[in-house]
Amino acid sequence: MPRKLERKPRIAVVVTAVFFVWLYLPIVAVVLFSFNDKKSLSSFSGFSLMWYDDLVHNGALLDSLMASVKIATIATLVSLVLGTMLALGLDRVRSRKTQVTLGAVTLLPLVTPEIVTGVAALLLFTGIGLKLSMTTVILAEITFSIAYVTVIVRGRLLGVAHEVEEAARDLGCTHFQALRLVLLPTLAPALVGAGLLVFALVFDDFVLAFFTTGVDPQPLPVRVYSSIRFGVSPAINAIGTLMLLASALLIVTALLLPRLFGRGSSSLDLITTGEPL
Amino acid sequence: MAVSAQPRSAQRTSLWGWLLAVPSGWMAAFFVSSIVIVVLLSFGRTTNDGFPAFATSTANYRALWNEVYLELFVRSFLYALAAVVISVLIAYPVAYTIARHGGRYKNALVAAIVVPFFASYLIRMYAWKALLSDDGAVNSGLRSSGLSDGVTFLNTPWAVIGGLVYGYVVFMILPIYASLERLDLSLIEAGKDLYHGPVRTFFSVTVPATRPALFGGVLLVFLPAFGDFVTAQLLGGASTYMIGNLVQQQFMEGQNWPLGSAMTVALMVALAVLMVVYLRATSTQARES
Repeated sequence: MPRKLERKPRIAVVVTAVFFVWLYLPIVAVVLFSFNDKKSLSSFSGFSLMWYDDLVHNGALLDSLMASVKIATIATLVSLVLGTMLALGLDRVRSRKTQVTLGAVTLLPLVTPEIVTGVAALLLFTGIGLKLSMTTVILAEITFSIAYVTVIVRGRLLGVAHEVEEAARDLGCTHFQALRLVLLPTLAPALVGAGLLVFALVFDDFVLAFFTTGVDPQPLPVRVYSSIRFGVSPAINAIGTLMLLASALLIVTALLLPRLFGRGSSSLDLITTGEPL
Repeated sequence: MAVSAQPRSAQRTSLWGWLLAVPSGWMAAFFVSSIVIVVLLSFGRTTNDGFPAFATSTANYRALWNEVYLELFVRSFLYALAAVVISVLIAYPVAYTIARHGGRYKNALVAAIVVPFFASYLIRMYAWKALLSDDGAVNSGLRSSGLSDGVTFLNTPWAVIGGLVYGYVVFMILPIYASLERLDLSLIEAGKDLYHGPVRTFFSVTVPATRPALFGGVLLVFLPAFGDFVTAQLLGGASTYMIGNLVQQQFMEGQNWPLGSAMTVALMVALAVLMVVYLRATSTQARES
């Protein structure tokens, strides 16, 4: 054992420490300067809530915030339903060909650069004469989110024995009942995890929203982007702090889900370990 | 189909069939069709009153074949490649340290890496922009410590590459961490006993054992980095623009949608070709090892 300690690779530990500092530096800066009492973004002169006060009185920004919450909520709910249907269907469908083809199409949005998806969505909506608005943003976000839900739910389904469902059928359940009473409750942790994840992703998503949004109200990230282009301002730090806090809460909850549900795995294991169990 | 011989499985097939039909229809209507439209419009033209129209011209692709655009493609490739290499250099020590020395804080440390990456990418890039600007906190720190009179960070390739690494390194760390976690650490010990040296052990034991994760991580970092436009927009300037910036300009500023579509198709084709070449190369290597 002492030999092992001797060989502890110091460089790796140092790199890791520097990495964490680098990772959190901009986040700490945003939060810190959001409480600055001056406009300066380089030196902290004193504590103040003035930038948050600015936010509360900024009608356009609050509209954007509400728009983003609405977009994320609707997109999450719809993509949960569609993504779960797709996962269940793919898991049980008999034709190997269907399974492989649809499985690949499902994964495509995940490997397509977002700018491609964004441009394509813009062309589609304009092409079919749909006016760009919150609706088009929601449609685009749903399309993008289905893949996440499907991947997470499929991961969870791999751990569910088909026999459980067969047993329910033998006990007199219809297919639909077996689905509703046996399968869906088993999937609950994965669904909650996927929901939190998708909400966080959609709420923060800039690229798709940027290409598919109408003029008013713009989703929050799009509004933030336009203000950033005109220069940095401490007011953005305040909204940024709130956005960081919201995402952090969602993701931490998703990470802690397995504990909340007692046992079993959750969506985030899939992301953190790449393993569907 | 053939399964209809048994009523029960026929019923099941139809239930699963329905479950598949709705989301597949959605994906066909909103995803597949949208990509088809991009491809079609890339052969289109702009009408005299400035509207995009479908046509069968290859003019957009011919317009793409010029030095300015090719340079942007090469630059995007190089930036994405640099981001991948730096991510690998970061990912191994970080993943290794957490897997080996994380102890009971392992999960907390992984969470500490994951959480920021789900927090607004835009806000984090904005923060870098503020920190690295000429009168930002980093430069004022350098000045007050007397280390330097100030360094221009923004608008340099390194700012953009750094931003890309910052944005996507998590996709390299997580798979490598997962495979190191599964790796029997006594293998590394054995390697050390056999080869007598951490460097040789690393290349002859650790790397082969984590190869699939490394290959996956390379794709996960490269793909989004190649198509990124926000990073170059915020941390860079015209001299560091990537292909994504060009696409964005055609659609939001230049208003030449057919040309923008051709660029988008070129981007997709370039990525597809690179992916095929890459997957071929890595699968041969995987077989050999």
